[in-house]
Order: sequence, then C-alpha cells, then structure tokens
Amino acid sequence: MNARDEKIVFTGSGIVCGAGARVEDVWSTLLSGKTSVAPFTRWDGEKWPVKVASEVKENNRTLVPDRKLHKTISRTDMFGIYAAEKAVENSGLLEHREGLDEAETITFNDRTGLIVGSGGGCYASNYDYLPLIHEAKGDLHVFGAELSNQVTPMWLLKNLPNNVLCHVGIRGQFKGTNACITNQCASGIMAVAESASAILNDEADRIIAAGHDAPFEPEMVLYYHKLGLMSGEAPRPFDQNRNGTVFGEGAASVTLEKASEAAARGATILGEFLGWGCCSEATGVLDLDPDGDGVKRAIAQALNDAGLAPADIGMICAHGNGTPASDLSEAIGIRHVFGDDIPPVTGFKWAYGHLIGASGIADVVMTLEALKQKTLPGIATLTSVDEEIGVFPVSREATAPRTDKALVICRGFGGMNVAVIVQA
Amino acid sequence: MASQEKRKVAVTGIGLVTPLGNDAPTTWANLQAGKSGAAPTQSFDASGFSTTFSAEVKGFDPETALLNPKLLKYASRSHRFALAAAAEALADAGIAPTDADSHRWGLAVGAGMMSVGYDDLKVVHDHATDDGVFDPDRLADPEFPANPVNFCRWQSNAGLGLLTKQFGIRGYATSVHTACASGGQAVGSALKAMRRGQCDYMLAGGFDSMINPIGISGFCLLGALSTDNDNPTGASRPFDKTRNGFVLGEGAGFLVLEDWDKAVARGATIYAELAGDGNSLSCFRITDSPPDGNGPIQAIEQALAGAGIDSNEIDYVNAHGTSTQMNDKSECAALKHVFSGRVDEVKVSSTKSSMGHLIAAAGAVEAAVCCLAIRDSIAPLNANYGELDPDCDVNLVLGKPQPGRIRAALSNSLGFGGSNSSLVFRNPEEVNS
Repeated sequence: MNARDEKIVFTGSGIVCGAGARVEDVWSTLLSGKTSVAPFTRWDGEKWPVKVASEVKENNRTLVPDRKLHKTISRTDMFGIYAAEKAVENSGLLEHREGLDEAETITFNDRTGLIVGSGGGCYASNYDYLPLIHEAKGDLHVFGAELSNQVTPMWLLKNLPNNVLCHVGIRGQFKGTNACITNQCASGIMAVAESASAILNDEADRIIAAGHDAPFEPEMVLYYHKLGLMSGEAPRPFDQNRNGTVFGEGAASVTLEKASEAAARGATILGEFLGWGCCSEATGVLDLDPDGDGVKRAIAQALNDAGLAPADIGMICAHGNGTPASDLSEAIGIRHVFGDDIPPVTGFKWAYGHLIGASGIADVVMTLEALKQKTLPGIATLTSVDEEIGVFPVSREATAPRTDKALVICRGFGGMNVAVIVQA
Repeated sequence: MASQEKRKVAVTGIGLVTPLGNDAPTTWANLQAGKSGAAPTQSFDASGFSTTFSAEVKGFDPETALLNPKLLKYASRSHRFALAAAAEALADAGIAPTDADSHRWGLAVGAGMMSVGYDDLKVVHDHATDDGVFDPDRLADPEFPANPVNFCRWQSNAGLGLLTKQFGIRGYATSVHTACASGGQAVGSALKAMRRGQCDYMLAGGFDSMINPIGISGFCLLGALSTDNDNPTGASRPFDKTRNGFVLGEGAGFLVLEDWDKAVARGATIYAELAGDGNSLSCFRITDSPPDGNGPIQAIEQALAGAGIDSNEIDYVNAHGTSTQMNDKSECAALKHVFSGRVDEVKVSSTKSSMGHLIAAAGAVEAAVCCLAIRDSIAPLNANYGELDPDCDVNLVLGKPQPGRIRAALSNSLGFGGSNSSLVFRNPEEVNS
C-alpha cells in the first residue's frame, strides 16, 4: 500500500465543539490553556455525580440557518451538517463547480464522495415515546393504537444515523462514493482514512469526510459514570491523578482531494494524508488490551502504509481520553513502536472534552493546524506524568513538532484502534 | 496503491439467520419452496399497531446457536443473530482466525440503527418521569435501576465488539449504517479493504432486528409498511401494481471472504467471486427514490466496472425490491437503463417477497442468496406477483424458481437517505485464476 502515484491532500476543514465553531477559535483555546469544560447548562446538574461537560454554545440557527431542516434532524446532525459545509466552503469546491459546464458538473458531482462518521444515535431521542408509554399504562395494544396521536411522523427520519450523509449530499449534490460509519469513537477518523483510500483507489476524485456526535445527554453521562469512565473535571491525559473522561459534543470535517486536481484548480493546501492503520484488539465491547497491542499495530500499519520510519514522525496527537486504563495502554503501545525516541505527545480532550464519534476527526483538523503553526499545544491540565507510564514527552507548555509529520491516534469501544499520519 | 491487476476475492462461507430459517440450508430450501416468512407478529402484542404482522425469525435458540454463553448477556437480539450467522459462515468455510493470522482477518458489518429496547425505555418511564415527562434528577437518583450491561448493547459498535471477540478477529474492523443499504455496503467495504491489501480474510455481513414496539413504530409512523393485516404472506409483492409497502423482517447474513489464491490453494469450495461493488448517493429526497433511477444507475455501473465485466454477463439480479411504490419504480428505471436491450433477458427477483425486508441485514442476506443462486444455477422466485405495473415490466422470476446457469449476479441495496449499494458476484467457472 505504500507505492503511491497520487498524493492525497486536504483542501478544507471545519469544526464545531465546546471550544468554538471555527478552527482559529478552537486553536486559540488550545494555546490559551483554558479548557472549555465547565458546569453544564442543558439540565440542572446539582444532584448529578458529574456536573461538567464541554457544550456547544452557538444556537441552532447560527449553525444551520434553514429553519425547515431542523424539523428533520437531531442535534448531532446539526453539528455534522455545519462542519461538513464549512469544510466544503473552506475548500472552494462550490466556486470551482460553478465554473464548469453542464456535462462537467454531472461528472464532478458523480465523482465527489461523502463519508460520514456518525455517533449512531442517542438515548434521549427515544424519550419522545415516554408520554405514549405513560398514556398506555404498559398496555402495548393502546401503545400501538395511540402511536400516531402522540409521536411525530418524522420520528424515524429525525433519528436516522445516516442523516448527515443524506442532507449534506442532497444540499451539495455530492453523488459519488459514500458511507456512514458507526464505529463508536473510531467513526470520524475512519471517515478521513476511508476517504483517502477511496480516492487513492480512484473511487472518487474528492471526498468530504465528516464526523459528528452529541454524546452529552443524561443516560450517557449516567452510564459512563457507572462504568467508571467519567471524571468530574476536565480530563488529565497521562497524568498521575487522571480519573476519567468528560463529554464534549460537536463535529469536524475535512475535504480530501487528489493533489493534481487541487493544484489544477489552485486550491489552498492544508496538508497531506500519508497513511493509516486500523485494527481491533478483539477484547469485546468495553475492554482493552493492557499491553497496548492494538495501538502498537495500528501505528505500525500506518507507518508502513506511509512508507515512513518512526523517526520521521514529528508529533503525536494521542487519544488520551484521561481514563487510567486507556492512557496507560496507549503510552505502552506508543513506546512499543518508538522505543526511547518518542516525538512530543499531546492530546486535546482536556480542552474540548471527548467528542466520541467526532473525536478522532476533530483531532486531525487541529493537528493539521498545529503542524501549520509549527506549534504543539500542551496538555494544560497536566500536573505530573503517571509514574507507571514513566518518561513520556508530554508537557503543560506548547512545544515544537520535530518534523512536519504527525501521528493521530484514536481508540474506541470494540477494542478499536486507528492511527493516521498527516503532513503539513 | 495503484492496482493494475485487481485482487480476486472469493466467497467461501455463508451463514444465515432469517425469517425463512435459522441457517443457510434451511433458508435456501424454504426460499426455493416458495414459503413466506411473514405472519402475525408473535414477539409482542402488535394488535394495536397499523401493521400487526412481520417476518420474524422463529424458534431461534441463542443458547444452542451460540458458542459462548458469556457473551450472550451483552448481545441484543440482532447481535445474537449475527453471532450465530457468523459462526455458521466460518464453519461452512472451514477456516477461522488463528494466532498466526488473526491480524490479517477483518470484519465489516452493517449494523442496525440504535433503537433502545421498549423494556429499557419502560424502566426510564417507570423511574424517571412524572406524567410521562422525563426528569433527569430521578435518573441520577441512586435508586434508579441502572443496568450498564444493557447500555453496552445499544452502543453503535457493540456488534463489532462481540464478533471480533467471539472469533478473535484482530485486523481491520468497521461498522456501517446506511439504513436499508447497510448490509450491501458492509460487503462492499470488505471488498475494498481486501483489494487494498488491508486483510487477507474477512467476515462481512449485516444484522438487524427492529421487530419490537419502538422499532416498528418508526416505520408505522412513516407509513412505510404494508397494512395488509388480513394477508401477511401475500403482503410483500415487489413490482406488483398493487404493492403498498414493505414487510418488516429481521435476521443476519454473513459471508467469509478470502483471497482467491489462498482459497484455491487450500482447496476451498468457492461459491462465487465477489467481483465488484458500487456505491452512490441519489441526492434526491430522504425517503423517496429518484423516479428516473439516477443514483442507483451509477452504483450498478460502478459495480460492473469494478468487476471488470459488461452488463451482458449479468444473468440474475437480486433486486432491492422493497414492495413500496417509489423504490420499485426507481429500481426498474435503473435496470432498464443499465441493461437496455437485454432487460427482457435478465432474470430479476426480490427475495423480500418471501422473507421480508431485513433492513440493515438485507443486503448481506441477499448477497448470500446471489452466491447460492450461482452455485445451484437457479434464480429465486419473486413471490406474490399478480398485477403488472407498466413501470416495473422487467423480466421477473414468477410462479417458481427458474433454473439456468448464472454467469454473474447483481445484488442491489437502496437505502433511506439515498445511499445505493450494488454488488457483482461472478460464477467461479467464469473466473480465470
């Protein structure tokens, strides 16, 4: 997979999360050292064991102005549509298309793909059925008979996991190769990687990759807490006192293109996609391999795919979710590959929380910015590195990447590990 | 990877759990016998719903079907179908991941949408609502009977987690959801991963079960289901002029995919070559299909191009054929466009006429049906057909299954939201190894 005739470049990006709705705003947050994790406002957290999250503050109509569209989408879809359309706008693809004749436009649309990583759904959307359950008093016959009087006919359409794919596709007329990946945390970053592979294999000339999720809702918080995965404060990746993660919400998106096409239309190049790896640890839904086996193999696959050696990597954006088991095994996995020569490591969940399905793609967007700025933001919540992890190149302060190439790691339920290498 | 020569991928194992049978041989035999999987819904009291019947999996005993009872408690009904069908597919292929090659094994699944079970929702209702209005404080109350195991079941990649663990698959793994196209897209994703060299073996399939009060509600509200409550077995009648909606089914289908040369070298029985996949977005409307077939056409053409064959080599089409007015019309427009002068020769059937619509599992189950049709040189029946619709005058397999050698078969899956997936399977005799 490493002999590449065609380079794949990034020509647009978009992001929305608790730290902002523009790449430059999120970047400022990362540099400022001030987390966007704060007491949440969606509901009263007073009696809750967890009282913080990183909430998106922009109102719905600011993100998606089309009032009618809001009737058929959910909160997570709104984030995804916003970010994807930012990445499209940022890439200048639509202006380019306007200059094409009719036949060229048809080809352009058929050769423009859309791959979305979706959180897959939420618990709260099902609460639309609670008044009906109440009225039916446990009698399913009544439940069925009263259904259409109590629940909106649009219920299913509002909650399709592939809504962002549908709506961004219809609005932009992107008719090419497409997928909706529902692989929990790995969804968004896999959208980026699958897009690059699809272009390399000539399934499309350009693809918009997006990832979106809105995990911050009562049942998710409750169960993550019950499973021991939640912290009561901004996460502290790799820290001695880390005690869990915190939810964010939002979306991120990138436009990927053949380098030759991007150059021909004079697009601004944000960076290059170099390679990826993906594997499962076969450990079940929640468990992970304490030895970092999947992290190690995903990184090794990505290096091999990119035709690079560990020493070529200038920085690592780690998954670093702040849970004791994940961070320790991730550090072990990284050490397996890099030995004592680990490039500077950072992670961004301290700043915008854990975006679950959107986390990996948000990290890709902000890593491209870090490479562009030649600055690796520090982990602001770090006090002292976990002794069990040992010497590990994380820091509170911003540092400089040692080369123009970065490794982004994303891990998820199902023992999933994905590694992506980019350059900028 | 610049691939002049595309890697050949063999289908060497099939596993099915469907409304027609709890394994592949039973399903295939009942499909050929013209049986229907539809009946009044048994698993809950559906009498008040606008549609009171469905195509349920019957007599499925997870305890005997599954090898690992410990995983059962984490498995939803659809996960149980998946684990059983995947186990059958691997046993059928006579191959399984080993310590030496488990990292070269991949998994691609089409998973159903997250739909929290009625029972779990009832718990929220009983303990955390006032007059049916949700109260978050009561959820946080230590008295709330929170069950993290149930929570795990509803996570989007829970099926992936259970399957990789059960079978020790340690390579590439993906879970996709494009509504009714999910299963086809999963098989297509697997082909892509094989062709780009990410895996040497893959388990690819789909699983779904929406025959529960919440799952069926979404479709009833949309008016997508047939309401022929007095005639469940005749309700799914794809391409018939009087068709009035689909029949909800459930189940799972899995294929074992294997590098062609490796399969030949070990003397494996090869059902078919998974030769091409196509994948397009209609960009028309969320639930409606483009009347002119613009969208499905591109997916079919891509699949043929990926397979390196001409439409002339397709002898059988397993249609998406949901039995809704719009889908069937749109799909026939696409078939007429692609097959042009040959449209009267290519046999077409929708096996949803017999087993209902398995939603996220449909494309994977129908991919398996194509492989079995190629192996046995027989095109399955398009059941329940009575009245001609001039918009759907393709060459349907009517009355009984039609014998005849199949050089290549096409399987279409067209989902809500406009995702179209087409797969091409070639008869192994047609493949030069």
